[in-house]
Amino acid sequence: MLSEELLEPLQKRIAETDHPRELVVDIMLALQNHHGYLSDQAVEEAARLLDMTPLEIEELATFYDFIYREPVGRFVIHVCDGVVCWMNGYDSVLNHLFKKLGIKPGETTEDGFFTILPTACIGYCDLSPAMLINGRAYGPLTPEKIDGILDRLRSEAPPPRMAR
Amino acid sequence: MPKLKIDGLEIEVERGTKVIEAAARLGIIIPRFCFHPGLGPVGACRVCAVKFEEGPVKGVQMSCMTDAQDGMVVSTTDEEAADFRKHVIEWLMMNHPHDCPVCDEGGHCLLQDLTVAGGHGIRRYLGKKRTYNDQYLGVFVQHEMNRCIQCWRCRRFYQEFAGYRDLGALQIAHHTYFGRATDGQLESPFSGNIIDICPTGVYTDKPSRFTGRRWDFERGPSLCIHCSLGCHIITSARYREMTRLEARFSESVNGYFICDRGRYGFYYTNHPERPRRARIRTEEVSLDQAIQTAAQKIIQINQKNGPKAIACLGSARSCVENQAMLIRFCRVQGWNEPTYFETPTMAKKVKRAVARLDEQLAVSMREIEKADFILAVGADPVNEAPMLALAMRQAFRNEATIVVIDPRPVFLPFEFEHLPVAPDDLEPCLTALIKGAVHRSAAEKMGEEALRFYDTAPAEYPDAPIKNRMVKITQKLRQSRYPVIICGTSIVRETTPDVAADSALLLRAARGRAGLFYLMSEANTFGAALLSSEEGSVMDVVESIEKGSVKGLMLVESDPFRSFPDYERLKQAVDKLDLFLVMDYLPSFAARLAHLFFPTQTLFEMETSFVNQEGRVQFATSAYRGGIPISQISAGGHPLRVFRRDIPGGESQPAWQILAKLANIISLPGREMFSLSKNELWSWIAKEYPIFANVPIADELPDDVRVHLAQGREKLFPSGGQIRSGGLSRENSTLELVMGDWTFGTEELSTYSKYLQQVEKEPCLFMSPKDASMLGLKDRERITLPLDKGRLEMELRIVDTMAPGVIVMPKHRQLAWQKIEKWPVKVAMGQIRK
Repeated sequence: MLSEELLEPLQKRIAETDHPRELVVDIMLALQNHHGYLSDQAVEEAARLLDMTPLEIEELATFYDFIYREPVGRFVIHVCDGVVCWMNGYDSVLNHLFKKLGIKPGETTEDGFFTILPTACIGYCDLSPAMLINGRAYGPLTPEKIDGILDRLRSEAPPPRMAR
Repeated sequence: MPKLKIDGLEIEVERGTKVIEAAARLGIIIPRFCFHPGLGPVGACRVCAVKFEEGPVKGVQMSCMTDAQDGMVVSTTDEEAADFRKHVIEWLMMNHPHDCPVCDEGGHCLLQDLTVAGGHGIRRYLGKKRTYNDQYLGVFVQHEMNRCIQCWRCRRFYQEFAGYRDLGALQIAHHTYFGRATDGQLESPFSGNIIDICPTGVYTDKPSRFTGRRWDFERGPSLCIHCSLGCHIITSARYREMTRLEARFSESVNGYFICDRGRYGFYYTNHPERPRRARIRTEEVSLDQAIQTAAQKIIQINQKNGPKAIACLGSARSCVENQAMLIRFCRVQGWNEPTYFETPTMAKKVKRAVARLDEQLAVSMREIEKADFILAVGADPVNEAPMLALAMRQAFRNEATIVVIDPRPVFLPFEFEHLPVAPDDLEPCLTALIKGAVHRSAAEKMGEEALRFYDTAPAEYPDAPIKNRMVKITQKLRQSRYPVIICGTSIVRETTPDVAADSALLLRAARGRAGLFYLMSEANTFGAALLSSEEGSVMDVVESIEKGSVKGLMLVESDPFRSFPDYERLKQAVDKLDLFLVMDYLPSFAARLAHLFFPTQTLFEMETSFVNQEGRVQFATSAYRGGIPISQISAGGHPLRVFRRDIPGGESQPAWQILAKLANIISLPGREMFSLSKNELWSWIAKEYPIFANVPIADELPDDVRVHLAQGREKLFPSGGQIRSGGLSRENSTLELVMGDWTFGTEELSTYSKYLQQVEKEPCLFMSPKDASMLGLKDRERITLPLDKGRLEMELRIVDTMAPGVIVMPKHRQLAWQKIEKWPVKVAMGQIRK
């Protein structure tokens, strides 16, 4: 169940909106931030809050790249899968990440720190090849830069709650 | 209107018509997967590509996404377009499994047809195919997602067209998955339509799996008789067994779709306990022998007790032929006319509705889709006549305002205004809306009677919250261009059909155009009301038996035990009879008690006609010749290796033919002899009932003939001065019991379907929160409800979408609801207990 603390502002926003359905992405993100990912329970909760059916939430949740329907690591690395990044070294970035983290796309490192998800163009063509980690853009990427970013994130962050 | 040329043929179409539709009108069927005439275009599959050679659009384009425009020259056979379509089919086949030989869709699969037609015979793609896990979608629909070609028809029908919200499109791009959030029975009572419209085998008909290929079946056009709407269906039968029903297109009635009650209700015809042999008491005899015995008995009674000593009950589920022949039989014999209705009240209501419907006011179901304001009074469409809810939804999608005045917790798959008022308040609530929207001058123009109706009808509804909501509704009604009134006949008062008709007349006077649509209880209620003249009731018959004036009872496709309030009393009356003769195709209770039983044919075994609730005379052909299904005779093994000339279990005959044979034996010399020809019967009908004179007796199936009694003779506005003010019936000490229908579990024939039995919900009693809190009752508690003839026990459901002062219960198969002697039923509040 959701805490009152989380629920109240959401319910307030819903009450103020003529068409609560408009808020569905915001609500999914809020619940995702709370649970770490959009769990089955969170889908039900979102449906209840917005007077939608779980199926209607699921249709949207599985459509969007940034809504995670499965547990993910503390840091989700969205590697840009756009044309400009392809031209500027997307393959080598991806391969370096695979090698360094020992995981494939869609997987999470055993320590629960990192998940790799290739993503449609993120719009940082000026930084290509680029990636987004928990909402922050990095680029232009080189293997060395990637090592530095990942090492820093790993050392600065507290250990993940849900190590896998 | 744009004029264009397709494959050298010229055609003019309305603005907004898509090229694919314009071509279809010329008889050119452009390949399509995602386009469906009932759902419109979406442009998902790309297989309807054609070449635009001249005009505003050039090159290869999608014909379903392009509006027909002046000067277009279109080629569907152009080499480039054909090559494009061929490649589309090839890429759609990339992920499609090569399982046609074991797929239940094989043989009537659009994808299969177009793959062959498109010339894609050799697979070039050798890679792995995308695969999915399938879901359990319930009793009716089998899921096989690997076959999906992402046409979106299922989701578009399920959510957009029908308004249900538990099946949709999940994932994205080439992972797109059509299904539910989790496994489970599809919630929509229209779910079976996704089987019909899926262009391949993602959704197949579960009950008929593995029963045969399309070409194995005897297929034919027929009618659905599980409510009064008369939707069109296609039957499939094999091995003496009705196997499957599909929707048949009808321009005026159901469009492209049907409901699940109609689709899966037909299993009564295959019922393993269906009586298939004639019986004298418990001994099976030949039909002729039974007729002979019956004739002797009847002659005895007639001689000893006179012609009035035999009573007849018919039913509203019987076809026109059976109903008419029973009346003809009784008239020739000098008997009392048969009774077709459960209660005199019901007979009166239906007869008033039938009397008031005329050619100008009556609207078809498809016309309802075009209304911009729908006012439903005493109607619960999803439960009483499901397809009506879909027609109303199409009006809603075209921005119509929809208002339902009904005490029950009405659910509709779209937004609507529900005014939950008690049955006594339906009329004042309706007239208050009409008076709010129609100026007095409109009534004045219609004459004295109209003005009296207008002036005396209550203008205000006393209940404040409802009154306030009515302000906004009347505003909308005032602006409407095409209002339609829908009026039920089950829970309303006797006068309500008249008030609805008069309201429609006033609306028409004020708005220039208005429609009227009645709902009735059974498939041929309209026919029964047209044909029958007596207004006797089952109760009268029972009383006559008890008094001893009636010695014989003949039931023609009627089971009074289904609705008679006092089971014991009816049984005792039946036991007293010298002759209890039953003709039916159902394993009914009455059939079991019969002294003489005659097996009759179902709709699927005979050529018949029914009159739907708007007076439309519709015809059905026989689907197969009847007999005991081979699966039941052989118990799964090989059919018996014996030769015989007849059809095992095929003795059943149309009830009207049995009646004719019986009449010809008992008739005194010199009396009219009955022919076994349907045409002869119809000429009798046309002679006795001139309104049927225009009905053609033809081999093709006309469905555009409507029979309406009202031809200017009917007295209009008869209820002027008689409509009481609303809110008067509110007594705090009693609750009025309203009996409703449920989509599954209440309609007689479909309750015999083993598949529908699986999706029936447990019967329960609905109560408003206000009444429940006064009684201290909680949601989902077991309660007992005292009725005239005993108590009923069931679950209580507290819902805030119903009228206070009323309790609502379904006429459910699993509930002995018949224990009611007198309508309306008022239950003292304190008597409803835990």
